[in-house]
Amino acid sequence: MAGCRETAFIYAITSAAVTHSIARACSEGSIESCTCDWSHQNEPPQASKSESVSDVRQWEWGGCSDNIVFGYKLAREFVDTGERGRTLREKMNLHNNEAGRVHVQAEMREECKCHGMSGSCSVKTCWMRLPNFRVIGDSLKDRFDGASRVQVSNSLRNNNENQITRSNRRNKNIATNSNNVRETNSVHRNGANHKKQNRYKFSLRPFIPDHKPPTAKDLVYFEQSPGFCEKNLRLGILGTHGRQCNDTSIGVDGCDLMCCGRGYRTQEVTVVERCACTFHWCCEVKCKTCRTKKTIHTCL
Amino acid sequence: MSGTILENLSGKKLTILVSFLLFCQLICFLIGGLLAPVPSNVQTIIGTICKDRPGSHNDTSIWLYSRGGKKCEVLDHNEIREDSLRMANKLVFVFQMPLPRGGQNLDYSRWQQNLIGILQADIAYDPKVYNNPQSEITLDLRLAYRNKGDPDDEWKYYASSLEKRDLTCEVDNATDKYLYQCDTIPVFEMGSLHHDFYLLNVRIPVDSDQQMNLNIGYIQDLNLATIYQNGGFTKVWVSLKTTFFPFIVAIMIWFWHRVHMLQRKPVLLEYMLIYLGAALTFLNLPLEYLTLFVEMKFMLLLSDVRQGIFYAMLCSFWLVFAGEHMLIQESGEKNSLKIYWRHLMAVVIGCISLFLFDICERGVQLRNPFYSIWVSRFGSRIAMTFIVLGAISAAIYFLFLCYMVWKVFNNISIKRSILPSMSKMRRLHYEGIIYRFKFLMLATLLCALLTVIGFILGQVTDSQWHWNDNVELEFSSAFFTGVYGMWNIYIFALIILYAPSHKKWPANETQENIMGEEIEFNNLPSDTNPSEISSLTQFARKTALD
Repeated sequence: MAGCRETAFIYAITSAAVTHSIARACSEGSIESCTCDWSHQNEPPQASKSESVSDVRQWEWGGCSDNIVFGYKLAREFVDTGERGRTLREKMNLHNNEAGRVHVQAEMREECKCHGMSGSCSVKTCWMRLPNFRVIGDSLKDRFDGASRVQVSNSLRNNNENQITRSNRRNKNIATNSNNVRETNSVHRNGANHKKQNRYKFSLRPFIPDHKPPTAKDLVYFEQSPGFCEKNLRLGILGTHGRQCNDTSIGVDGCDLMCCGRGYRTQEVTVVERCACTFHWCCEVKCKTCRTKKTIHTCL
Repeated sequence: MSGTILENLSGKKLTILVSFLLFCQLICFLIGGLLAPVPSNVQTIIGTICKDRPGSHNDTSIWLYSRGGKKCEVLDHNEIREDSLRMANKLVFVFQMPLPRGGQNLDYSRWQQNLIGILQADIAYDPKVYNNPQSEITLDLRLAYRNKGDPDDEWKYYASSLEKRDLTCEVDNATDKYLYQCDTIPVFEMGSLHHDFYLLNVRIPVDSDQQMNLNIGYIQDLNLATIYQNGGFTKVWVSLKTTFFPFIVAIMIWFWHRVHMLQRKPVLLEYMLIYLGAALTFLNLPLEYLTLFVEMKFMLLLSDVRQGIFYAMLCSFWLVFAGEHMLIQESGEKNSLKIYWRHLMAVVIGCISLFLFDICERGVQLRNPFYSIWVSRFGSRIAMTFIVLGAISAAIYFLFLCYMVWKVFNNISIKRSILPSMSKMRRLHYEGIIYRFKFLMLATLLCALLTVIGFILGQVTDSQWHWNDNVELEFSSAFFTGVYGMWNIYIFALIILYAPSHKKWPANETQENIMGEEIEFNNLPSDTNPSEISSLTQFARKTALD
């Protein structure tokens, strides 16, 4: 695959999906190895027994950190394997993978509960709720539309990693601040493996120097996308012949763009649809059937 | 004749004492900020959807659990969607608490004290289906517990109830596969966390005759957020209580002993100080240790009651204190609380209404942990009545207190103007009274101000503060231990400083400058005259004679 926008999106959404699924599985209790306090996790592996003891102690003393932290960490280890961050392509992949994970966190919503004296707000506890994956997909799609084209720069960004890792120990968003690529890269405090840690220390320069450098949430690419109009099996492109399009839209689903200027065919069909449904828990939908006339456009 | 220790203490000694107390205050704050974790933490659990077993409708001995031997049959989302039969009454949302971590089954520690559960429903959006944004959901809730060492399937009944809750959901710019954003639903509050594992089974029964759960949409998932008090916080908190407890008891004994060495009956203010000390001792009593051995479901209620008694006592004390420093006296009688009954009505009414509210909420929760007064319209109206009544009496109390303080200051300025014309002894007494009053005003205002500032800071800022890279301060915990320590120190100081002094007043007016010199109090009961804590009665009478 080329280093184009579409690739960027695929990498980001894959990484986001892995993060999301792991965090979800931790909440379901279906992965038993989710860690309690992730900050103890980067101790040498031979200390695995004492690690589980420290997990129990941590649970009793201060409770466990949010599942998203573990999801983030594991997704990094799982998805980013093999990306050493040496070539521009590998840097692009690392950045987009990271962007996917950042989006999962940024979409988390805070819920609070007051439970002080007589239920007053003198004690208030808040937690982050895992978003629906559809929402993450939408916000990644927005970033896809505004992805930035980059080239590599040699300067390293030096951030104070420790400070950020510590501030994230609680249930807060790891990446609320999206202005700095490096800031959100610092979840993984891997003291033992410097090579691994340093691969996230790079910065990408916009291709057009006047543009802003990409933020942690932005998707990046460095190659122009190939044309998707005609069939090209070598690149896995199916072409847009026969695709349904929307004649009123000016976006990529509009007939002008999608049909690549070849024009489109317009048909009028009568559709029988379910409508005015009521839902009965669980899981039956009672509907009326309606007949509607619809106009369908297809690319030539 | 003598006054209190406060006015007989030299400036130097007072400074040392006050700075020592302030130092203790700082220690309390730092203990909470540096040692203790956040007061409470959350574990969010996504319900495992299990297939119900037949006969579970009336049988509360059937428990479905998601981990361990003989676990339930887990259903997939696709399975539910594709099933041609209606699975409505066949689904159970299973929450097994706590979640396993680090490859092992964690269990609740008794240090974690209490558990609060909040449900949130993920309802799928379907553009073809109209959903009422405000509907009512009926939940069949059942709680069970198990202890370490029990077999995996030996869940024992804890509580069960059929509860109705409001379900408020909204959705913005939705398309397919979006979820409704539903408000949280409080489900249970447990005042004790005596057992190791808990299990919540949630069923959403459908009944078309009773219109139960017919139009709530397709619930994809149920999320349960469980809030528990952190064990570390409890440990720090209880140690703080254990430390304060003997100090306050000791100072009360000392105070009472000292009062009884005088050849007179204790006056009202001395009684008030002892009551205040007693209320604080009740608050300090580290009953939490008992929860480690005995199941005490009433701990949440009890801690509310203990705090309530303390604050009521503190409010009454301020009123009586202001009243006793009016510098005028209608009669020569010994003052008693009876004179203040009108003033104290506000405190009493406020406390009773809040107590009734608490009984209605947390009292009922002793029987049914799923109960909440806020869910029914009638209940929330009653709850609001109690709270509004409490708020009104608080406002009346505050206005009244302000009025009394204003009156005292008025009297002070009147007395001030005629002070130089008085005889030395009377002047000293009035100066003493004024000094005492101003000192307490200052200390109280300082404490109240610190509490309010701390509370506001806690609301607006992030809970963790960073001084530098290595030191972090847990502000919410620091606030709790700080405020708790502050009121302890405040009352400790009051009892010491407002204890009757045994120092003799100048016997005749030729002895001069006794206030200017450094005076130490001694414990000798040398005073044979009946002395007064504030000497008010005599001097008021003298004023009248003059």
